[in-house]
Amino acid sequence: MELIIGGAFQGKTEYAKENFGIGNEDIFVCNKDFAPELDKKCIAHIERFSFWCVEHGIEPAEYFFEHAKNIGDMIIISDDISCGVVPIDKTERAWREANGRLLIKLSKEAEHVTRIFCGLSQRLK
Amino acid sequence: MRIYISGGAKNGKSMFAQEIAKKLSSEGHLWYLATMEPHDDEDLARIARHRDERAGWGFRTAEWGRNIALHCEEIDCKGTYLVDSVTALLSNEMFSGMSGEINKNAADKTAEELLAFSEKAENVVFVSDNIFCDAAFYDEWTDSYREGLAKVDRTIAEKCDVVAEFSCGQIIFYKGAELI
Repeated sequence: MELIIGGAFQGKTEYAKENFGIGNEDIFVCNKDFAPELDKKCIAHIERFSFWCVEHGIEPAEYFFEHAKNIGDMIIISDDISCGVVPIDKTERAWREANGRLLIKLSKEAEHVTRIFCGLSQRLK
Repeated sequence: MRIYISGGAKNGKSMFAQEIAKKLSSEGHLWYLATMEPHDDEDLARIARHRDERAGWGFRTAEWGRNIALHCEEIDCKGTYLVDSVTALLSNEMFSGMSGEINKNAADKTAEELLAFSEKAENVVFVSDNIFCDAAFYDEWTDSYREGLAKVDRTIAEKCDVVAEFSCGQIIFYKGAELI
């Protein structure tokens, strides 16, 4: 599994496309209003999936490892939402923490963890 | 040499940028590109504080808060410029309209003008801000600005010799570590 993280708009999806030979058809872009389809090779904006989970009282990490197929071959992309002020809104607060727990689990499983900054990559693992 | 520095607030970006600009300027003049357009007393006080901090460093000041391309003829080709910050420049360009509208072309314009400028000057050190890592849903204005800044960052960083991020006063290189 490849885990790609970084701030918003930094070029994470472009990095995945360039380095892992995937196209738009291989990517599922998560949405905070719907359950995700975890059967695609690449899952983008997994932080939005975490938000959907929190709103439905689900722990994202549990849901993910229960529902995702072929985890070993997946490319997971998340916005880094960990560095701002603690959100005032309770759901947003829970979201930030739940996404952090998910990323820690994913990064343990991942073969590589890559951080994208200004379109450039840095290998964290 | 072109250097791009970004990172969170109060992590040591500006001080490092100032030092590296000073070092690079041994052959020519050292310039500070002042990007802040003061709107009130608080801004004026901040500008005065920044001026004090730079005193004694040997900076000449160019007050180009926007429309960098208009200053094309004034560029000191042997000079070393410190651009602090890209963030302020984009904000001036994006929110300058009288009608309260966002200038949607601002990110492309800023990136293009800064690149052209950096090709003419001997050395340029850019300072930007990492405003991309928080858990919040923003209004359309703010999100357009974040997306725009990321676009400027990425366009210029691609052409820079050195790209680095600052965290707790520590430097993290994304390219060009060997050049510093």
